[in-house]
Amino acid sequence: MVAAVTVEALSKCFRVYRDRSVTLRESLIRRFTGRHERARELWALRDVGFTLEHGRLLGVIGHNGAGKSTLLRLLCGLGRPTSGRIRCDGHVSGLLELGGGFHIELSGRENILTAGLLNGLTERQVKQQQDEIIAFAELEDFIDQPVRTYSSGMYLRLAFAVAMHFDPMILVLDEVLAVGDARFQKKCLARFARFRETGKTLILSSHSSEQIKGLCDEVLVLEEGRVVMQGDPATALRCYDDLMRQRTERRAAQLHGKAPAPAPVASGGSRQGTHEAIIEAVRIYDASHSAPDHVRSGDGVTIELDYRLVRPMPDLALSLGIYSETQVKCFEANIHSVSGVLGALALAGTIRCHLPALPLLPERYYVDVGVYPPDYDYVYDYHWHMHPLDIVDGGHAEHQASGVVSLSPAWSIAARE
Amino acid sequence: MGRFAQRYDLIRHLVRRDFTLRYHASALGVLWSVLLPLTQLLILVFLFRRVLPLGIEAYPAFLFSALLPWAWLSTCLSSAGSLFLGNRDLVRRPGFAPPVLIVVNTLSNLLTYLVSLPILLGVLVFYDRPLTLALLAFPIVIAIQGVLTVGLGLMVATLNVFYRDVQHIVSVGLTLLFYLTPVFYDAKSVGGAYALVFRLNPIAVLIEQYRAIFFYGAAPAWSSLLASALAGIVVCGIGYGVYTRQRHDMIDVM
Repeated sequence: MVAAVTVEALSKCFRVYRDRSVTLRESLIRRFTGRHERARELWALRDVGFTLEHGRLLGVIGHNGAGKSTLLRLLCGLGRPTSGRIRCDGHVSGLLELGGGFHIELSGRENILTAGLLNGLTERQVKQQQDEIIAFAELEDFIDQPVRTYSSGMYLRLAFAVAMHFDPMILVLDEVLAVGDARFQKKCLARFARFRETGKTLILSSHSSEQIKGLCDEVLVLEEGRVVMQGDPATALRCYDDLMRQRTERRAAQLHGKAPAPAPVASGGSRQGTHEAIIEAVRIYDASHSAPDHVRSGDGVTIELDYRLVRPMPDLALSLGIYSETQVKCFEANIHSVSGVLGALALAGTIRCHLPALPLLPERYYVDVGVYPPDYDYVYDYHWHMHPLDIVDGGHAEHQASGVVSLSPAWSIAARE
Repeated sequence: MGRFAQRYDLIRHLVRRDFTLRYHASALGVLWSVLLPLTQLLILVFLFRRVLPLGIEAYPAFLFSALLPWAWLSTCLSSAGSLFLGNRDLVRRPGFAPPVLIVVNTLSNLLTYLVSLPILLGVLVFYDRPLTLALLAFPIVIAIQGVLTVGLGLMVATLNVFYRDVQHIVSVGLTLLFYLTPVFYDAKSVGGAYALVFRLNPIAVLIEQYRAIFFYGAAPAWSSLLASALAGIVVCGIGYGVYTRQRHDMIDVM
């Protein structure tokens, strides 16, 4: 049986001109004076090969710049490979950017018509599907207003609803699944499932490991334009994490000697990172603003993080998580852009996180914190199991409870006869 | 056959969209599309009837019948350069054929031309010009100019992606061409070598045909029309060839 997608030895090179002649005049002058533009070769993809059978869902993961978007674009027929070939058995449609062809001055309804026509439908076919699309996007009340008045969430829901309803044999999605709230995402996933049931093939790239684990049949890991592995999601995600760690270590080795040795923070646990930004101290306070040995189940805590930047940088990503001894993730908060959410970054500062209540069962937990560059390419500083948090009985008479969350069950009994 | 209908739907929708959006937020709306050529007309009439009299009878009618098709060509080519660059999301959309943008632009400007037609007919009637069956040749001349314009537009739009000053070169070229085409003067009053230039310039040939059917009420010169039709097809072929060769590199650059 013919595979849906066959890629053989695919390579793509972009020629990056340092000072590219953007005008005809300059180009002619250069040609006559013999001065040629110096071009640097940028290999976005090198020798990429894989096969995908019909009806499978392939995820493509890799760090920023690994070549994911280039690969997906080539699969859609945009641009030409420098070498190698792509063979697709069936019509390929792609959603690489949301809202392409939308005009903000027109109403949502008009834009649905435009998008439908761009997708190869006739006007009559679009009119037939229109109501379904509007219902999927949940925009019944706003559909006749200009898109200019929509919030970004509404805009994305419309664009996504439109894209999902015009179905091709092979669909390629480039990081467009981070759209809408949880309920909308569930609808999208249900639609994907139906899509696959009819034997269609899906290729998507995503940064969310949950989506990858939950959706994909197989995953392709790209690093620096090459395929590192193709396999099941769990293994691929582990591979991706390993690669991230390796990159962090490589970078740390490069910077060795340029960054000051970071002050040790606590005994126990482990720490990794390039240390271009460091977490100097982590303090945990309870409601009475003292740093106790233990916290009662149900009480609130405040966690303070002292950070320092080795050199000025515009932005950071931050993660703060509470994990149990048995590696259960009780909670994790991620701020993708600290300067966007909290305000401009000083060279050194303190970030405070207040958790109003911790309904956790009595046990030892750890507060794991990490700072990263905003694209999560590698790790600046990550503290694993370095900061313990002991939760003790809150006096709520826990009767042999196990698990993670403390739910304070209230029991009673009544006779029936 | 189905694909043809679909393409037709798409182009019709995009033309309608382009046309309505053009004057969407302006106070005068579609009236602008009529006002601009009228203003040009008034200025040129003033220039060549009062300041430098050319001595052509019924000059406004003479001028207007050539000015409208010229404005169609000129607007199409001046806006062609930004058609690919300015619609990056569409050009990079899988399954979309960028030449559609050129066709849409040409048709949309044609609509502007057609909106001014009643005014042209009014001016012709005012000056007692003969309105004959020759007017039936109008669609044919339009079609030829359309093909020529699309070919040129494709070339300009593609090249402008790589060399940003192509747009400016086109503007300068259009200005020169305006003087080398007998729009505001009579070709017959220029003798000798220039007559050759007018015969070789397909746009000059087309303009003469417009003037023939509108101003003189005479049938167009079929041999000249045929020649310009061939020229139009050749130019269109070249334009499409340029686009096809640069198609992939264009996407990489954008």
